[in-house]
Amino acid sequence: MHKLGRGHRDKVQQFMTITGASEKLALQALKASDWHLEGAFDFFYGQQSHIKSYTNTTHLEELYKRYKDPYTDMILADGITLLCNDLQVDPQDIVMLVVSWHMKASTMCEYSKEEFFTGLQALGIDSLEKFRERIPFMRSELKDEQKFREIYNFAFGWAKEKGQKSLALDTAIGMWQLLFAEKQWPLVDHWCQFLQARHNKAISRDTWSQLLEFARTVDPALLNYDAEGAWPYLIDEFVEYLNENGIIQNGQFK
Amino acid sequence: MVLHKFGEKLYSGLVTTMTSHLKEISNSIEAAQGGLFLDELNRKWAEHNKALQMIRDILMYMDRTFIPNTHKTPVHELGLNLWRDVIIHSHAIQSRLQAILLENVRRERSGEVIDRGLMRSITKMLMDLGPSVYQDDFEKHFLEVSADFYRLESQEFIESCDCGEYLKKAERRLNEEIERVSHYLDTRSEVKITNVVETEMIESHMHRLVQMENSGLINMIVDEKYEDLGRMYCLFRRVSNGLVLIRDVMTSYIRDTGKQLLTDPERLKDPVDFVQHLLDLKDKYDKIITSAFRNDKTFQNALNSSFEYFINLNSRSPEFISLFVDDKLRKGLRGVTEEDVELLLDKVMMLFRYLQEKDVFEKYYKQHLAKRLLSGKSVSDDAERSLIVKLKTECGYQFTSKLEGMFTDMKTSQDTMQGFHASHGSDIGDGPMLSVQVLTTGSWPTQPITTCKLPAEILGICEKFRNYYLGTHTGRRLSWQTNMGTADLKATFGKGQKHELNVSTYQMCVLMLFNDADRLSYKEIEQVTEIPTFDLKRCLQSLACVKGKNVLRKEPMSKDIVDTDTFLFNDKYTSKFFKVKIGTVAAQRESEPENQETRQRVEEDRKPQIEAAIVRIMKARRVLDHNNIVAEVTKQLQSRFLPNPVVIKKRIESLIEREFLERDKGDRKLYRYLA
Repeated sequence: MHKLGRGHRDKVQQFMTITGASEKLALQALKASDWHLEGAFDFFYGQQSHIKSYTNTTHLEELYKRYKDPYTDMILADGITLLCNDLQVDPQDIVMLVVSWHMKASTMCEYSKEEFFTGLQALGIDSLEKFRERIPFMRSELKDEQKFREIYNFAFGWAKEKGQKSLALDTAIGMWQLLFAEKQWPLVDHWCQFLQARHNKAISRDTWSQLLEFARTVDPALLNYDAEGAWPYLIDEFVEYLNENGIIQNGQFK
Repeated sequence: MVLHKFGEKLYSGLVTTMTSHLKEISNSIEAAQGGLFLDELNRKWAEHNKALQMIRDILMYMDRTFIPNTHKTPVHELGLNLWRDVIIHSHAIQSRLQAILLENVRRERSGEVIDRGLMRSITKMLMDLGPSVYQDDFEKHFLEVSADFYRLESQEFIESCDCGEYLKKAERRLNEEIERVSHYLDTRSEVKITNVVETEMIESHMHRLVQMENSGLINMIVDEKYEDLGRMYCLFRRVSNGLVLIRDVMTSYIRDTGKQLLTDPERLKDPVDFVQHLLDLKDKYDKIITSAFRNDKTFQNALNSSFEYFINLNSRSPEFISLFVDDKLRKGLRGVTEEDVELLLDKVMMLFRYLQEKDVFEKYYKQHLAKRLLSGKSVSDDAERSLIVKLKTECGYQFTSKLEGMFTDMKTSQDTMQGFHASHGSDIGDGPMLSVQVLTTGSWPTQPITTCKLPAEILGICEKFRNYYLGTHTGRRLSWQTNMGTADLKATFGKGQKHELNVSTYQMCVLMLFNDADRLSYKEIEQVTEIPTFDLKRCLQSLACVKGKNVLRKEPMSKDIVDTDTFLFNDKYTSKFFKVKIGTVAAQRESEPENQETRQRVEEDRKPQIEAAIVRIMKARRVLDHNNIVAEVTKQLQSRFLPNPVVIKKRIESLIEREFLERDKGDRKLYRYLA
């Protein structure tokens, strides 16, 4: 701080008071915005979870060029596969879902240029190396309750077909197995079996989001399941199914 | 003496003198034997009263001046008090008096005649001496002893009498006690003694009486013993929960027998009979309530709720009630006076009110009405309209607007036919006569689209009509409903016998084929007419397998139609009548698969109604939790049907899907209306 002129010092002080950021972060933000407070605020709030670095647009362009499809201004399936290889991550790895979430990608297996930029900027990535470094952080985000919910709900819109209102059952099951491998839910397999045996239709958004609540709040032995709890009827039927088939008996989960 | 300030002396002198005098009297009373005791007491009392009057008159001055000043008891009152203390409460007299009074009552209860006048004088005496004297010296014990008496007697009776007899006896005793009070007891004793009788004779044995085998409440109801029931009602009314008991036992009986009736397959075979039975039952219970239970509203309500309970146990009830009405309107009401028609329709409406699934009734009623109107089979147009009005009053305009539409169509068709014949009358000449009813699609029950090739002979006139109609009504589409309609055919048989056959449209198509061929196979008929299989088989069955109507012969002869059958024109057909009706059958109860289908359609119809209700409610309330939505929806729709909560939930989810509603972000049990 002693290296700074009085004007700059004041600004740092102001910035810290207003945002509650540390001196180091304040310095970074102000430097990045050429000592304009407004710009500094934008920069600061535009980041997620106190990203320490900022991104270089030119590098991003290069990165984008590497993956984009030769004929369209988008990254398509091949590009994504290449990206995963570069990252040394399996394309089926759930971390790619987190990446998509940061990008606010509208649908799976493709990223628009804007989505690519938004996501990587948000994560403070402008090189493969930084990308690889960020992967553990992204995995950690899945452990955060609030973020997991956002990612989970995001997954519905992302995984369904464009223009469809509901999510195809097979895709839904795949997603559920992926997601609930992260956040353990003992009933996930029974749920998927039940759907295949009894339902065989697409999954509505409401059912999707309510299932997470169900998994979070109702214990596997259904002891605190409230029949008047305004659960979607599919979940009510699932409970019946569990009771009928003896999977839940006398408050015991086998 | 008072004037000379000797008041005190006078007073105390009076007390002393009177006391000693009374002691003597007391002795003489005590000395009286047996029955004379009361008499003696009474006489002495009368004398005493007279004496008191005189003394009071004499000592009036003292009474008015000395006594108030010194706060002493006035003379008259003093006289009474002394009488009470010295005589009535004397050791010997007190208990004897009590005993004799009670003995007299006991004797009278066993049927002996007693001196009531004397009793009255004595009890009056006790009352004059002070209410507590009457109560403590007599009434208290009277009530106790009476309680014991009736406890015993009621026990005796209950072992030896049946319910009706017992109640008669109880009633008699009750009346006796009331009479007794009026003759020689204080009026305030009435409620107390009746209470005793009620408790001992009725309340203690209430349950046993009602449940008594072969004579209890149920038997009385079954045997229509109005007098006994009335008696039971009046008596039980006097005790707490007496009527509740009667009502509960009656209600569970009605429910049980109703339930049996509704689930008995034998009974359900004939719907018209079944509904008649229901009406008879209602009449019977109504009569009991009006004749014996004084039209008690709580009983009326209990009866209504019982009927409502068991009528809805059978999901076919709405259909059956409609069939009953159909039967009446087709033939049952022929020759019945207008008044009686109204009475019957009102009774039917009452059954209708009990139905939970009024929308199912509406569906069937529409179907049956359509058949009646189209076949011209209604006994009385007034009766039909009267019932529509009643339904409208009960359920509102929406319920009946389509039904009324059907009547309108019938009328309009008449006018159309007049116009048609006026303009084309000359064209027709010797050709077939056509009479058309034009139905507006929305008002009439939905018809399946049927294929059927009309015979060439009538195609001409059908086209003429079509052109005529479309000429005057542009922008409309007409389609012939070949599954309905009738035809009159003139047929000539083997020996030249002529008959006029009244047949359905399908039957006409089949029969016309035999103008060109003597024998036809099933397959050939099917091919040419294009009538759907199920209908064709039924049609052929009615033409070939029914005695007296077999204008066709089937080979091989059997009850059912199979693909390999062959049909021949029956030359040998005979009938007593010139006109033979082979046509449409009256509305039948549906077969199981038909019933399922109708049910399904009703369920489908309910979905939009439920959704509309949800949207209406949410629009008004903006935010509401799940359970309350279910409750409100149920309330709104209860005049038509009882919505299933699971269906309501599914509809809510559908509305969420279509973004009419959303779940609240904070509380997942709350829903918000999305404008």
